[in-house]
Amino acid sequence: MIVHLFFLLVLPCLFIGVINRVKSLCAGRQGPPVIQPFFDIGRLFHKGQVISSTTSFIFQIAPSVNLATIVLAGLLIPVGPCPAILGFNGDFILFAYLLALGRFFSLLAAMDTGNSFEGMGASREATFSVWVEPAFFILLGTLAFISDQTSFGGIFVALQHYNPWSNLIITLGLVALFILILVEGCRMPVDDPNTHLELTMIHEVMVLDHSGPDLGLILSASAMKMVVLGLLIADLLIPSGLPGWLTLLATGGALFFIAVVIGLLESSMARLRMVHVPQFILVATSIGLLILSIAIFSQGGPG
Amino acid sequence: MNLFLAGIGFILLGGIFSLFRPDSSKGKTLVFFTGMGTLCILRQSIPILLGAVTDRIVLFFHPPIGPIPLILDPLAAFFVTVITLVSFLGTIYSIGYLRPYAGQKGYSLSSHYFLLSLFMASMLLVPVVQNALAFLFIWELMSLFSFLLILFEQKKSEVLEAGLNYLIAMQIGVMFLTIGFISIALKSHSWNFASFAEVFKADRSWSNGIFLVFFVGFGIKAGFVPFHTWLPKAHPAAPSHISAMMSGVMIKTGIYGILRMITFFPDPSLAVGYGVLFIAVASGILGVIYAIAEHDLKKLLAYHSVENIGIIGMGIGLGLLGLSYHNPLLAIFGFAGGILHVWNHALFKGLLFFGAGAVFQKTHQRNMELLGGLGKRMPYTAFFFLIGSLAICGLPLFNGFISEFLIFISLLNGFRSHQPFLSAVSVLSMGAMATIGALALLCFTKAFGVVFLGKPRQPIAIGETSEGTPSMLLPMGILGFFCLGLGVLPQLIFSILRYPLAPLARSADFSVMADLEKTLSHLAFVLCLLAGLTVIIYGVRSLCLKKSLIQKHRTWDCGYPATTTRMQYTAASYAAPFLSLAEFLVNRTSHKIKPEELFPQKASYQSHHRDIFESYVFTPAGAAIRGFLGLFRGIQSGNIQQYILYGLIFLVGVLIWTIGVIP
Repeated sequence: MIVHLFFLLVLPCLFIGVINRVKSLCAGRQGPPVIQPFFDIGRLFHKGQVISSTTSFIFQIAPSVNLATIVLAGLLIPVGPCPAILGFNGDFILFAYLLALGRFFSLLAAMDTGNSFEGMGASREATFSVWVEPAFFILLGTLAFISDQTSFGGIFVALQHYNPWSNLIITLGLVALFILILVEGCRMPVDDPNTHLELTMIHEVMVLDHSGPDLGLILSASAMKMVVLGLLIADLLIPSGLPGWLTLLATGGALFFIAVVIGLLESSMARLRMVHVPQFILVATSIGLLILSIAIFSQGGPG
Repeated sequence: MNLFLAGIGFILLGGIFSLFRPDSSKGKTLVFFTGMGTLCILRQSIPILLGAVTDRIVLFFHPPIGPIPLILDPLAAFFVTVITLVSFLGTIYSIGYLRPYAGQKGYSLSSHYFLLSLFMASMLLVPVVQNALAFLFIWELMSLFSFLLILFEQKKSEVLEAGLNYLIAMQIGVMFLTIGFISIALKSHSWNFASFAEVFKADRSWSNGIFLVFFVGFGIKAGFVPFHTWLPKAHPAAPSHISAMMSGVMIKTGIYGILRMITFFPDPSLAVGYGVLFIAVASGILGVIYAIAEHDLKKLLAYHSVENIGIIGMGIGLGLLGLSYHNPLLAIFGFAGGILHVWNHALFKGLLFFGAGAVFQKTHQRNMELLGGLGKRMPYTAFFFLIGSLAICGLPLFNGFISEFLIFISLLNGFRSHQPFLSAVSVLSMGAMATIGALALLCFTKAFGVVFLGKPRQPIAIGETSEGTPSMLLPMGILGFFCLGLGVLPQLIFSILRYPLAPLARSADFSVMADLEKTLSHLAFVLCLLAGLTVIIYGVRSLCLKKSLIQKHRTWDCGYPATTTRMQYTAASYAAPFLSLAEFLVNRTSHKIKPEELFPQKASYQSHHRDIFESYVFTPAGAAIRGFLGLFRGIQSGNIQQYILYGLIFLVGVLIWTIGVIP
């Protein structure tokens, strides 16, 4: 429980901090301290709020709903040695639908302002999620098929003991999940979190009209979403059977490593053109299908 | 059974009495009687649904009809319960919805309410009649009454066209059913459903073929792709409560028919299961893609019916595969998800059509591009429509999620079956199901966002009371309550599904369900946690804001305030990024006038989407048939003497033939 709270409440800000630090270093600057996001978000909670007179109650509840869905999604995932707090059979279905619920409200909040920039962002976010959802389900479905388990906890443990193909499958799964992190977290090469042109934004443009505590909730939610997805990668990567403290350490290390890679990617890559983003996401889907073929042709299912 | 028949009697009485009442109180009369009828029917159907003894009554007729058994078994009770509930709410809704038409020339409320009661009665009888001839008769009456109800605004040519399109589609469907029933009766020498099981058992390949004939016949009513083209025409043409009843419950009688045939079907072949699954997936994905391309609010909802029928069909397809593979888990969860979605879809689609009707009544506009900002003017309608949207997207806390979850669980069991092909198909279907969910989310953020949020895109002439009348809001509220209730208390579904499932999944062993019951109560706990957590976070946020300054201001708009509300993001542009990727499916055409010269005076852009089945299959087929029949147009001269001559020629022909045959 404490471990989960630490990973869900403290790590997200550090995660963003590390990404920003890596980007600064790559750009030849020293950059803000790693804990800067704490201050940024904390300050937002002390600020007032400007609310558009066009908006309705949806604009005000959306950030809270969004954060709640992501916290719950996080509680469905095991953290290192600690089993998921709320895990059950079929929990990965709920996981995806929770993220969808959060997205639903974010999209509506964007439409609520009557601002065409925000509508554009919402439209893009909705379109890309059409490609993300099947990729996630095909990937997780395949892993569930291979491991003969239906919960996150079960899948990750069973995969480690699978067969000689495990290593290949895990490696491919990591690549696919990493692509999903980039898309869901709205990072390069899908979306540029630092862009200054509204026309090229996806996620940032949807929250243009939010301010104060609501903006704080949104920022924490998107940071938390990256950590939650990062935890999936860590769980897949780290072999089971290690002592608890080592697994925990390795989980933290894996998250740190992911943050560094994202930072390096963002420093070295340009954003893809919008029309090419679906192709990028389809890579993840194809990897899912590839894993499925491997699993079926290697031994026709679990023995 | 007596209570059930008394209930139908009440409904018919209501129709008759409403004939003699003034326009203003016709609706109330019918509501009173259907209310009594609904109570009687529910009193009978709910205990049977929950496991009381099946009730039956047999009406004796002479051959060739034979005895007509009316049987209210759990499967029938399952459908009867939801039909009576949604129809009753539809009649309440009609009081408010039809009020502006009262006393107006060209609209006949008398015939409308009378037909409404007949329509309800016929729908309620469909699931209980177990004699093929009587079934076909009731089935035809149901189609006929709904056709007449669509024609309420018969002055409009598009209404007439949509109605005829519907009638033709239904006749083609009934043709298949007739072929199916006659083929069975030829073997069993009885019209009675009870004799069907024997016939199905006798010949395996024949029974698979005949099942497909029934699937097509019932599938036309249900609206599976490619037989769906009547839906997006008929639903917008009908008054909204009729759309709600047709889309919410009438198309489900098609599903009922398919399920009833499955109960007689001992050993479905794999091809049938995979075929149904494939058609269902196609319906799900194509239905929602056309809905995204559609900017007429009611047409959009009609295409969503196709999508949801697809989801129901996926459950049925998985159930059939479970029967073929002798995998009881796959069968139970597949059928459970499918039939639970029948209820769920009836609840939220009724709600959404009621909401769309309220919008139409107040704005006289179905084109979303001209609406906007209605959330402020119609807060309750907006709130209920939001609940319906959340439910239809299958999002947690609402009922749609539970049935989709069950289908996912069935799929999970599908690929744990150690059958490589089934596993691959299950994983792909899982991807398809996820795509359908994400597309539905796109579609309903579009629909709700464009219609209810933002600002009105053109000045709306809204009457003195901008919100719908209480009689329109009440049914929406009740349906919304059920959507939420089934969503947060998923444990309830066990008692509801247990008995209707037994004849479908052929398994009295419900110990496997106990495992799922645990999962679902866990799920319920998580969902309550979700609600609680949201409230807590919102509370903390509000506390933070207590001391600070909250300002109301116009939307920032990046410093370029829009000069007109038409500059808000439109439904077409919202859908464009996706549709440009699915262009080959939606047959997009666009006309544009580009801005030219230094000071352009004129520029415009229009895009249209067409259903590929409509433009490449049914329109050419219709043209071909018309072309063929046109060959005979010459004999229709309108000259009465000529017609008498035809009669004479015919008689002489018959005379010669008789002389030739009988020596």
